[in-house]
Amino acid sequence: MNMRDALKKRDNFLAQIRQFFSQRDVVEVQTPQLLDTPVADAYIDSITMQVNKDIEQKSKYLHTSPELEMKKLLAHGSGDIYQICTVFRDNEQGAQNFNEFLMLEYYRLGFDVHQLMDDIVQLLNALGIQSRVSKLSYAQAFFEYTDIDILNTDFEALKVVAKTHGLSTDFEWIEDLQIFLFTHLIEPKLKDLPLCFIYDYPIMQSALAKVEGQVAHRFELYMNGVEIANGYDELQEAKTYQQRFNDEINKRSVLDKTSVDLDKGFLSSLQNPLPQCAGVAIGIERLLSQINLK
Amino acid sequence: MAHYSTSQFKNGLKLMLDGNPCSIINNEIRKPGKGQASNKVKLRDLVTGKTLEKTFKSGESVEGADVMELDMQYLYNDGSEWNFMDPDTFDQYVINDGAMDDVRGYLVEQDMCVVTLWNDNPISVTPPNHVMLEVVDTDPGLKGDTAGTGGKPATMNTGVVVQVPLFISIGEKVKVDTRTNEYAGRT
Repeated sequence: MNMRDALKKRDNFLAQIRQFFSQRDVVEVQTPQLLDTPVADAYIDSITMQVNKDIEQKSKYLHTSPELEMKKLLAHGSGDIYQICTVFRDNEQGAQNFNEFLMLEYYRLGFDVHQLMDDIVQLLNALGIQSRVSKLSYAQAFFEYTDIDILNTDFEALKVVAKTHGLSTDFEWIEDLQIFLFTHLIEPKLKDLPLCFIYDYPIMQSALAKVEGQVAHRFELYMNGVEIANGYDELQEAKTYQQRFNDEINKRSVLDKTSVDLDKGFLSSLQNPLPQCAGVAIGIERLLSQINLK
Repeated sequence: MAHYSTSQFKNGLKLMLDGNPCSIINNEIRKPGKGQASNKVKLRDLVTGKTLEKTFKSGESVEGADVMELDMQYLYNDGSEWNFMDPDTFDQYVINDGAMDDVRGYLVEQDMCVVTLWNDNPISVTPPNHVMLEVVDTDPGLKGDTAGTGGKPATMNTGVVVQVPLFISIGEKVKVDTRTNEYAGRT
């Protein structure tokens, strides 16, 4: 494919995404990319920018995701919204990871995660992807490909499992070991599945998703074993966000990473809680590369 | 021996795994959207020749393997042992017959080979990409036949059997590709 054809293909792809949302009355938004507070996630690092050198120098942070800024809009009555934007992450480099990539993030009011997964399948259909869809809960995936009862295996027992596979057991928290085992034992098996949703994550991996019983209402989409999307039944109350942020901020200090302040600006904009909604982030380049592989 | 952190992993790096020296053939960083990065690594076990896959936690460190690859001349085989010489130092190295399974059919006296040493002991041999071998047994070919129409099996002086064109006869020397066990011409 020559340069012009490749660019047209990409342009057409983005136009199809916009058409899909336009038909559903989901509104495109643009939110600030330079933020006052870096992301709190223990394993996501913001890129720091020094701005206003000639006036009053201060640090700003490139957004790692438009999530919190879009949630401010949701809390102020935006209704269904989506955004296509470049996001920036420090310390990410590899075959599938870059310091900047294009993200599609969208929120649907009143949806639960299963409705959102169905909606994503419709979006993929509209983009010409008609592959067979598999859905496995996180626990089912471990039962299917290993003999591990992942929701009922404690940290020490999971370390024994790792050891029998000749893997490192040097982990600070159980969720890190769960993710590590998923990467080593489950992901290679997902290569044979064109589209596979993994849902109902262990509560220690809830991120910003609602928790019910033993699981968090969170899902990821894998295409041929490559992680494409990550979605939640979104937390609504400022105080639950504050708890989750503080957990991550504490982890960062244990890991000796750059310290991060609590995002008070975000919390105060949630005086009215978020409406019940489900949201997802989709990596556009990864999605395009999976389509181009065909 | 030095330890290597995952950030120093690259193709060709030699590591100790489960007691055997291994060489990295592919190193891929895997970073989940939420969660810690890990390195998915493909390695070749230099003793068994097998390929294995392993995941390392990012930042984990692994003991390096004292492995060297040296150009050596193949001298002779006395029935149970194969003798090689480092042409720079004239040091001689002996390799047991058991380690030679895949390559014994391609070793020609005086040829230069790559010998892999682990803790100064030879563990494997890589013959040159092409070697000249002599046909010691094959069916007579048809007169007037030229290359390209099928072939026939021929046994070489080293014992290896190679598919050769029909016009090749006993006593001829042929060039063999040691990576594919294919006939590669007569000169």
